[in-house]
Amino acid sequence: MIIYVATIVVIAVIITSLIAVFSKKLLSSIIAMGLVSLGVSGLFFFLQAPDVAITEAAIGAGLSTAIFVIALKRVKKGETKDEE
Amino acid sequence: MRSDTPELFKKIFALSAVAILIVGFFLAFIEMPKGWSVNVNGRVSRLYILKNVRTATKLLDSGSFFAKGMKPLRTDVAYTPIEFKKTANLEDGAANVVTSIVVDYRGFDTLGEVTVLFLAVSGVMMLLFGKPRKEKKKKTEPSLIMYVGTRIAFSIIFLFGIYIFVHGHLTPGGGFPGGTVIASGILGLFLGKRGYNPNHAGLKSFEALSGIAFVIIGLIGLFSVNSFLANFLPTGIVGNLYSAGFVALIYIAIGMKVGAELAAMVDTMITDTEEEWS
Repeated sequence: MIIYVATIVVIAVIITSLIAVFSKKLLSSIIAMGLVSLGVSGLFFFLQAPDVAITEAAIGAGLSTAIFVIALKRVKKGETKDEE
Repeated sequence: MRSDTPELFKKIFALSAVAILIVGFFLAFIEMPKGWSVNVNGRVSRLYILKNVRTATKLLDSGSFFAKGMKPLRTDVAYTPIEFKKTANLEDGAANVVTSIVVDYRGFDTLGEVTVLFLAVSGVMMLLFGKPRKEKKKKTEPSLIMYVGTRIAFSIIFLFGIYIFVHGHLTPGGGFPGGTVIASGILGLFLGKRGYNPNHAGLKSFEALSGIAFVIIGLIGLFSVNSFLANFLPTGIVGNLYSAGFVALIYIAIGMKVGAELAAMVDTMITDTEEEWS
């Protein structure tokens, strides 16, 4: 039973990582990266590593996504200022 | 890969890499022994304990426990099974064996990790340091629901982060995830109110004090047991809150340090400052 769930999660991780690589908009790439981290943390849980799963969910899916979004916001602000 | 390679070849290359990964993943699942989802983790830690602390004469005779070629180090001590709230002094008393490896055996490594995180955060702060810029045009405030909701969620998230790093030696978790959870709660406070301003001096002194506490605990080990970061407290009974010696103390220090550090980094990044070179 668990291998089917793991298979679905793996396919979702692969699709979201392809979106993160090939997407034109940076914001959707960042969000896809967060989803990849979430799926990978689920896989760590299936593979009996709950410590790593908690760390991956807190750092990869939670904080680093927010930090990337903040950094993207700052970078775009700098761009518009230069154009003016 | 060169930049003038056609787009089609790039896509074919990426897809074939993905296909190889999928095939490897399923091969790994096929190679796993039957019943792998039952208790692989428990078996590994039990194997570790049996090899080093107790012997496994009983299970060794029946041949049901060890893989081929594995033998316990000691065969003179009689085998006694491990019980959750009764057994004492196993692997320094931590029910979560990962913690006793990360903090106890490889505590110096963990000190290095904390230092690396500190250097990274101080690099971010050095790049983005500056006076807060005064806002010229009036921006929209977040809604009342966001304001109240983040405040309520913050208390729950804060409590959960503290639980993760205080119970690090009993349940999965530890200092780093706990600190990150606390920092994401503080990020929620930043999102809920525009111009939210935490106590900077408090954050910095908190972080410095918890970093110093880590080293002081290590030095106490150096002077009492003759080894840096040695476990100098009684290890207690497996499963109790007051067990595993100094693992809980060090995880509390790490959790507070990581939480304060990441909160300060989020603060530096989210506050709009005037950089000198922009």
